[in-house]
Amino acid sequence: MLVKVLSASISGLATIGVDVEVNVASRGLPAFEVVGLPSKTVDESKERVKTAIVNSNIEFPARRIIVNLAPGDVPKQGSFYDLPIAVGILAAVIQFKIPKNSLFFGELSLDGTLRHTKGALLLALFAKEKGLKRIFVPRSCANEAAVIEGVDVYPIDSLNQLIGYFLEHIDIKTAKVSQVNKKIPIVQPEFDMAEILGQEQAKRAMEIAAAGGHNLFMCGSPGSGKTMLARALQGILPMLIGGEQLGVTKIYSAAGRIPPEGSLIKIRPFRSPHHTISQVGLIGGGSRPQPGEVSLAHRGILFLDEFNEFPRSVLEALRQPAEDGWVSISRSKERVRYPCEFMLIASANPCPCGYLHHPKKPCACTQREIEKYRKKVSGPILDRIDLHVDVPAVDIKEFSGNEQLKTNLETSEQIQKRVVLARKLQQERFAKEDVYTNSEMKNSHIKKYCILSKEVKQLLRRAGVAFQLSARSYFKMIKVSRTIADLEGAQEINASHMAESLQYRPKAQIKDL
Amino acid sequence: MNLLKIGRLGEEIAKKYLQANRYAIIEQNYRTRRAEIDLIALYKGILIFIEVRTKRDERFGIPEESLNRKKRIKLVGNAKAYIARKRWQKAYRIDAICIVLDNNYQLKRFNHHKNITF
Repeated sequence: MLVKVLSASISGLATIGVDVEVNVASRGLPAFEVVGLPSKTVDESKERVKTAIVNSNIEFPARRIIVNLAPGDVPKQGSFYDLPIAVGILAAVIQFKIPKNSLFFGELSLDGTLRHTKGALLLALFAKEKGLKRIFVPRSCANEAAVIEGVDVYPIDSLNQLIGYFLEHIDIKTAKVSQVNKKIPIVQPEFDMAEILGQEQAKRAMEIAAAGGHNLFMCGSPGSGKTMLARALQGILPMLIGGEQLGVTKIYSAAGRIPPEGSLIKIRPFRSPHHTISQVGLIGGGSRPQPGEVSLAHRGILFLDEFNEFPRSVLEALRQPAEDGWVSISRSKERVRYPCEFMLIASANPCPCGYLHHPKKPCACTQREIEKYRKKVSGPILDRIDLHVDVPAVDIKEFSGNEQLKTNLETSEQIQKRVVLARKLQQERFAKEDVYTNSEMKNSHIKKYCILSKEVKQLLRRAGVAFQLSARSYFKMIKVSRTIADLEGAQEINASHMAESLQYRPKAQIKDL
Repeated sequence: MNLLKIGRLGEEIAKKYLQANRYAIIEQNYRTRRAEIDLIALYKGILIFIEVRTKRDERFGIPEESLNRKKRIKLVGNAKAYIARKRWQKAYRIDAICIVLDNNYQLKRFNHHKNITF
């Protein structure tokens, strides 16, 4: 008897439909074969399905079972074909009808229960696109799949429960988004901006970066608070908004990073890989390409501490993704495209010993060493950074015992309020565009939304000559000044906004002015 | 009754079945140098090698289970050795007959699987 069960195959963030055809023959030697380019994980599902059915107290048919995963020329990956294969066999043996327009997804445990499986959100999206009405998923994936409206999500605990549903019509309550929304975990960032003493300019730069999604480069002596600042940045960023949430959750679903019972991701991701990271780890890759850190930092922060210590090839690989907001990974078996619209926050010491420009400690480096150290980060990379800021060493005497100064510091919450307002302005501005923040603006957007007065244009032209700004930096300056204006709630970019944005050029350039 | 006797009992049941179905039995327990072929029969001009598997209890696995890939390759090898010796140049086929007996050595299940090495 031939049974067809619908499922899908995931490649990157894309899905294509897969028909799981199960034939339980009445003639021939007993066998259990899976065809249709199964990977090792899919092939192993034979053993899981067999044992799960036996342990659900159902006799496994000693007959010739051939499972075909169609289309036959697309490689199949993942452990989620367990459920469709098991359902196909059971439907053929116990003779029940599988309702039309139903999608099955999930990995089986040997005892017949269902395990948490990655990719539930992508499957639910696929179901919606194809107009399928029902999707059967493991219970721990139900919250994730229920995010997609218009598809009934049936949370399944075990094979026996599913059989009860098909044979005796024992109802299964569908998962609803409204129930999911109640449980939003609020993650407290490690540091509050109020805990960081001094560094007013750096904090201001953080605020601008957060408001406009700009890249930021911090340079300063050891212990001056660069890492603390970066970690506190998470606390002044606004929550993810509608479309962004889905985009981030899709990547995390594909990477299998959504925990059991997890749902939409609402907090901006913060990724801080160690500098021993490989190119594939940062950009993404593998023979079946997985998302890298840049994609996991989508709509959030990619913090690269000790920027100069990263291998040069790894940093250079950042060029295109940082600029375009997506990365296309091509391997012989698969080509995928992952979005990676991240804020790059980098930090480095000014020289190998770390004390160049330090007010008290002398620098022990030779000129040659300093030059060699600086050369590790190439011009094209630095050119892609909107904001350069110095984080000088803090004089402890100035702060110890000065309680008044400590209480006057702004908290992350206060800063976040301003950031949220600035982001709201951007949202309204880009309502009809496919960008969210100022930093994502293309040249056409800049022409449309950043109209500069004569005075501002003149200032920018003068700066352009003095700093020898590249065309890219020139536009970046406009974007940053747009954000500064937004923070003030100003409609137009005026000279003071532009002047402030010029403060965030690399220090070497400012000195030349 | 020991295992060998159960096997012989199964072979007798299979032989009777084949004869009743107009298979002409050519050899029984034919020995090659390495192995033994349970039954060889001729049916409609096709030479048929039959492997008989008998079990008294299905709790420790069904007879079909023991006909794994390795065993099937072995059966093909034996058949080839036979046709080489007898210079048989026409079609041949390998079948399996699986027999399950109950505790009183009565027939519980009988399956004739045709052409198992196809």
